[in-house]
Amino acid sequence: MMTAVKQSGVWAVLLWPYLLAVSIPLDCRDEQGNMSRCPFISQEKLLDRIIQHAELISRISEESCSLFEELFVPFPLRLQRNTVGYACITKALPIPSSKSEIQQISDKWLLQSVLMLVQSWIEPLVYLQTTLDRYDNAPDVLLNKTKWVSEKLVSLEQGVVVLIRKMLDEGTLTTTYNEQDLLQYDVLPDMLESVMRDYTLLSCFKKDAHKMEIFLKLLKCRQTDKFNCA
Amino acid sequence: MLNTGHDLVATLSSDVSTEAEIEESDRWYQRFVGGAMMTNVWEAVVLLLLPFLAPNAEGTQYSPPGKPALTRCRSPEKETFTCWWEPGSDGGLSTTYALYYRKENSETVYECPDYHTAGENSCFFNKNDTSIWVNYNITVVATNALGSSFSDPVDIDVVYIVKPNPPEELNVTIMEDKGWPYLRVSWKPPQKADTRSGWITLIYELRVKLEGEDDWEMHLAGQQKMFNIFSLRSGGSYHVQVRCKPDHGFWSEWSSADYIKVPDYFHREKSMWILITVFSTFIFLIFMCFLHMNSNRSLKYYILPPIPGPKIKGFDKQLLKNGKSDEIFCALVVPDFPPTTSSKCENLMVEYLEVYVSEEQELILEESKELHNSLKCEGSTSDNDSGRGSCDSHTLLMDKCGEAKGDERQTDGEGHPMEMEAQMHQRDWKEGTLSSAYQDIVSPDMSSGRVKTWPSVFSPLHQCGSTSLNQMNSLAMAKQHCLSDNLSPPGSASSFLPQSGRSTTETHRPNYCEFYSSDKQLSSPKPQAQTHRKLQAHSDINISHKQAGLQSPALRPTEYVEVQRVNKEDMVLLQPVESGCVCGDGCPQVCQDYSKVKGLNSDNMLLLHRDVMEGEEVRSHCEKQETNGCITSHITPATQKPTDCIPTVTPIVQKEMGLAVSGYVDTAAMLTLPTH
Repeated sequence: MMTAVKQSGVWAVLLWPYLLAVSIPLDCRDEQGNMSRCPFISQEKLLDRIIQHAELISRISEESCSLFEELFVPFPLRLQRNTVGYACITKALPIPSSKSEIQQISDKWLLQSVLMLVQSWIEPLVYLQTTLDRYDNAPDVLLNKTKWVSEKLVSLEQGVVVLIRKMLDEGTLTTTYNEQDLLQYDVLPDMLESVMRDYTLLSCFKKDAHKMEIFLKLLKCRQTDKFNCA
Repeated sequence: MLNTGHDLVATLSSDVSTEAEIEESDRWYQRFVGGAMMTNVWEAVVLLLLPFLAPNAEGTQYSPPGKPALTRCRSPEKETFTCWWEPGSDGGLSTTYALYYRKENSETVYECPDYHTAGENSCFFNKNDTSIWVNYNITVVATNALGSSFSDPVDIDVVYIVKPNPPEELNVTIMEDKGWPYLRVSWKPPQKADTRSGWITLIYELRVKLEGEDDWEMHLAGQQKMFNIFSLRSGGSYHVQVRCKPDHGFWSEWSSADYIKVPDYFHREKSMWILITVFSTFIFLIFMCFLHMNSNRSLKYYILPPIPGPKIKGFDKQLLKNGKSDEIFCALVVPDFPPTTSSKCENLMVEYLEVYVSEEQELILEESKELHNSLKCEGSTSDNDSGRGSCDSHTLLMDKCGEAKGDERQTDGEGHPMEMEAQMHQRDWKEGTLSSAYQDIVSPDMSSGRVKTWPSVFSPLHQCGSTSLNQMNSLAMAKQHCLSDNLSPPGSASSFLPQSGRSTTETHRPNYCEFYSSDKQLSSPKPQAQTHRKLQAHSDINISHKQAGLQSPALRPTEYVEVQRVNKEDMVLLQPVESGCVCGDGCPQVCQDYSKVKGLNSDNMLLLHRDVMEGEEVRSHCEKQETNGCITSHITPATQKPTDCIPTVTPIVQKEMGLAVSGYVDTAAMLTLPTH
């Protein structure tokens, strides 16, 4: 698993400029209207790279959550790796939650779900960065991981936007930000509460990252073999 | 009725004491409303039977069921899942179990849809009931007639409880890579897991072990479904198993093992090992050789040790190689000796003597005129093979090898001076000892004492010599071979025969003069038939002549050795004469000390008579007893190895030699010849 992650990481790091270049056409066409200057990427390749991004983000988020749990969460309060104690911020999103549901929704909705998830997590991750910095003995490893994840999430968003445009021919950028003010930016007086809140944040993000990965993979399957996929 | 039933339940469940439990029981009771009729009947039955049951239960206590516990929940493919629980005590009554769950963010309680598919005490959730990324809150309730008990709730998310089935269709084959075999293992993911669409991503791990061993070798294969295993043992039989795991989840069970036998490829390995062994042995031997050689001597010494050559002075080794014995033996005879061209040998009867003169013994020999010096003195030093080490420091050396003046001496029948020429090595003489001196002793009766220093050699020599001697009136030539490495050119009038055979020797070689005396009897009693007795004195080169006051031999072609005295052991002590000390030159002492050997009488006595030295006529005599112990002792050991014989010259002095006057020859001390 680690080697796969490393390979994905290497791929992502190497391909990150490409993804950025891919997202540039948004500006290329808008500002100059000169498509020849912008690099072209095929839809399949774009989807592949998006999937690699999502895989890497899922992997790193899981590592960050485990690390945080080891460092800050008291043992009795640890989740049994099975659940998330508190409600996640994205619970209100209309996201399919079973395979049968996923089989029934369209590609468009699949992509839209992914985009919703990505966009709803960008800000909370930034917030998580700031809170983790306030911890006394947060190791650099944890901080670097979360920082990396938040950055990659932004690029993932850009990629998904481009993909939506390509696949669905939707010109507009659907920026349906989650308006719910689920995060309390004020510092809770109780340290344990603060820790548990952050812990919940990380756990929920871990799960949602996994969701994104699955959705994108299913989308890819649908692109190649529509009849046998979920 | 409801109230009755409710009260009954309340009374029966005596352990229900808390409010919550009552509420809980109420709730469950509400559910039972659906089957109210059945419940009423059930209640009636319980009521009727209770009086009968209670008195019959003698000592057995019925109680509500024990608390069940959810042991685990697993999903094989992330689409369905199953939960198992462990029942508690049943309290003696038949107990039923029910599983209830709640999904997150919802208060709706659902009951397990399927209790049978997954076996006993299990609950199976099918696809329609399974939601991913959703928390389930699950509880199991055990109920019997007396009550019910609830398990601890468990929260699960299906995503994190995935444990797939083992991989299927494990296939192991043997492939070859440049003659070396390896295993190729391939498999298929479990059937139910939807990895193709990406719903589940599995990583695989396989393990290998040799048949009969306990240790497994693990290999992580990642997401690939094929793996190569190298470094196989030839002829071994391998077991291979594989398992898989989703990115979030548990490892599956190991698949069924596949067995494979690797063919033998031992021979190729073996030849390589043989080559390696031979090569390393070879290197080891070379190393040992070097070690041994470096410790001692050079390689040349080990491979081609120096062959001891014949140590016959004046002998041409080439003759040995030719292999003709006649030639060899004849060669031992100096070609010029006996001199056939002249009659110098005619009257000579030479005895070959070997004299070892010890350091403290100095011989004073009186030179006799009659000495015929057909001696050849070869100055040569023995090499290290001569084995004269013990004699070295104690032997007198006369290493003057000059030209043989045999002509002069031999022709001079009378009083033929005999010179002993010793050439001392300039740097080698340590002690002042006399060089060997030789003198020819004229004695017609030499036959009785035959000095054989070279027994094997001399007899034929003798024969050879006899032939020549016969020619020369059977005169044995006395030769004196003094070997030294510096042979001065014969300059003085000496009776040395030129003789070849100088061996180039190194320094510090003992010089010795060999006196060959043949016992060839010369028939001629004339003074011509003189027996040359030659003393063979071996002296080490290291004998210095400082004490003796001898000059460096290089300066003087000839040196005289004078016999100082004869000690009690019948040894003639020789003293080298100072160079240039000729009588009359201012060495009156020396001159006075010289004695002349008149002759040898029948008793093997050296006849000395005092005489005034005159120049060249001073001769020193090397006397060598015919049959002295040294000689015999010489004979026994190797011919070339004079043992530590100290000068064994037994001077033979006649009484009438009043030489004691000069201290030169002590008549009293002399002379008894050790008879043999």
